Amino acid sequence: MRILLVEDEQRLAHNITEALREAGFAVDHAADGVAGSHLAEQGVFDVIVLDLMLPGKSGQRVLQDLRRMRLHTPVLILSAQEGKESVVELLNGGADDYLAKPFDLGELIARVKALIRRGKGVSTPVLHVSDVELDTVHQTVFRRGQPIDLSPMEYRILEYLAHRPRAVVSKQELLEHLYDFDWEHHSNVIEAHVSNLRRKLNIPSTEPLIETLRHRGYRLREGTSA
Amino acid sequence: MNKSASITRRLIVSVLLLEILAAIALIAAVTVDERHVQYQALDANLRGTSNALLGAVQDAEDEGDNLLLDLRGLSVPSGAMYRVTDERGRTLGSAGDVPPLTLNDGEVQEHRIAGRSFRFFVLSGERITDPGKAGGVHHRVTIVYGLPDGGVWLEVLEAVRFFAIATALLLGVTTLVLIWTVRKLLLPIRLLAAEAESISVMNWRFSPPESARRFDELRPLVSAIEQTVARLQHSFQQQERFTSDAAHELKTDLAIVKSSLQLLSMKKRSAEEYERGLSISLQDFTRLEETVQKMLTLARLQQPIEPSVHACHLNQMLEDAIEHSNSFAMVRQISMRALHMDVVSVPLDGRDASLLCSNILLNALQHSPDRASVDINLQCTGDLARLTVRDHGEGIHQADLESLFEPFFRVDSSRSRKSGGTGLGLSICQAICKRVGGSIQIANDPSGGAVVTIVLPAIPVAARAELSASLKP
Repeated sequence: MRILLVEDEQRLAHNITEALREAGFAVDHAADGVAGSHLAEQGVFDVIVLDLMLPGKSGQRVLQDLRRMRLHTPVLILSAQEGKESVVELLNGGADDYLAKPFDLGELIARVKALIRRGKGVSTPVLHVSDVELDTVHQTVFRRGQPIDLSPMEYRILEYLAHRPRAVVSKQELLEHLYDFDWEHHSNVIEAHVSNLRRKLNIPSTEPLIETLRHRGYRLREGTSA
Repeated sequence: MNKSASITRRLIVSVLLLEILAAIALIAAVTVDERHVQYQALDANLRGTSNALLGAVQDAEDEGDNLLLDLRGLSVPSGAMYRVTDERGRTLGSAGDVPPLTLNDGEVQEHRIAGRSFRFFVLSGERITDPGKAGGVHHRVTIVYGLPDGGVWLEVLEAVRFFAIATALLLGVTTLVLIWTVRKLLLPIRLLAAEAESISVMNWRFSPPESARRFDELRPLVSAIEQTVARLQHSFQQQERFTSDAAHELKTDLAIVKSSLQLLSMKKRSAEEYERGLSISLQDFTRLEETVQKMLTLARLQQPIEPSVHACHLNQMLEDAIEHSNSFAMVRQISMRALHMDVVSVPLDGRDASLLCSNILLNALQHSPDRASVDINLQCTGDLARLTVRDHGEGIHQADLESLFEPFFRVDSSRSRKSGGTGLGLSICQAICKRVGGSIQIANDPSGGAVVTIVLPAIPVAARAELSASLKP
């Protein structure tokens, strides 16, 4: 999952970015409203964490422009302002959640995760696809009750696919949503990770859980039978 | 004695008192006049009846030239008293017990008889009988005629009573009209008070009633209230903005400190990672501390001080500040040139003067390009010390000039935050200058760069000597 953080306070931005990356997200950072708006309008983010008082362009305007372009990326507002802009107004203006500074990093991460679930039409933190159980809070995976040990990147790919069962997800989409700009990435990196993931998930005498569709991408099969 | 006083009541009571006094004076005048008129009428009556009595004296038609009083066809009032005598002292006729009076002809006298007051008139007249024989016989007849004057007072009382009732009625009517008028006249004051009362922190709108503006006496009050409200609102809004900005600033710094520590505790880390994280957290914390420190300094400087308690040599403080910031200037090869340095004493605490100088110098250095110069000028003209600091940087954007001294204002918020500024430096400088009646201004130099001009009251040499003498133990 890829997150955009728009925050002008450098030290705070650094801390949030680090925390989100450690929680398994790909994070891009914009230090002002104009750059934030540009990045947000590419539509490759799963959540946008937006500060209100920004140089160049205010957080409110960034949000307004994003919604005017019919981009429905969930937006979490961070603000130290009080009273000037009421929470009600922000939510009515298209924001999905609100956190007042100084906030709790743990709470920020939990809210970001909740927004991602909602954004993908899922309401519980535990996802079930076929006989695979995926706990997004603890980042653990079980198949038929058996724990499966995945690398962070493998887990992220599986989580992304699990949020969109039966849909064909291209390699490009996976790249966009799982890596931020700071990473060197090539599509063969994805192929390697998917291949490993498929091997780890594999149980003899069953059809592979992840289908590969040539030149189109990957699909998580639902309802495989033993 | 803390009794409440009412203008309405006082006004009405004063006017009524005056009216009553006027009424009493009027009634007294009427009484005197009426009495005079009534007595005149009585006297005329006395004279007339006396003359009639004289006319009623007839020749007795006997041998002696005697006279008699013939009262036929003459009506004498029942309460009247009279005595008609001739020159020989014979009484021709009388009614009632007329007292012996010593009066000349035509005189009037009052006399009390059996508890009643009478008014007597004396008439002496010539009466000629037997006009046939040699010019007739001359008789001298004296008539004393008296009437009780109780009737006069009755008449006077009657007239006065009428006046008194009429006056009382008028007084009643005018009182009602007065109350109504005064109430109506004072209504604008009540409306004004109600309007002024509705002003609050939530509602600063003050629209005085039109009626209050119309009266000359109320207009100054209206404008005084308007100005006071405007001043209060302005300072309240300033305070509110400062509080809100300060909260924003502190929360941001707190969020940094908190997130740094939380990030560190998110998972088990190596000793080096902890060490590095702690040192970063400490830096974040230092910045929070600095913000708080500067806010407290600003709060302290905004308190008024007793005049001329402190004094220091501004040139000395400036030289110290130049020396302190020299290392920073050298790193960027900026030369600080003191073009003119007068010896001048200002009424500032040494700590504040040094804070002022170093803030202005650091500000100039921060906005200077590398290898440029910062020009410093300190001149004393008359009773003013004038310090100018000029940099050769980009100058200040026209739109930002007005907001430069507002607390937490930064020319570019993201950039200044990086450079570690709290946005309070210039506010602190302004507070230092304002506290002693000085001023600080920032303008763009026509040939580029910004010029900070500080004007402070200078302590005259004589006073300075006195002060230094008093400071000696």
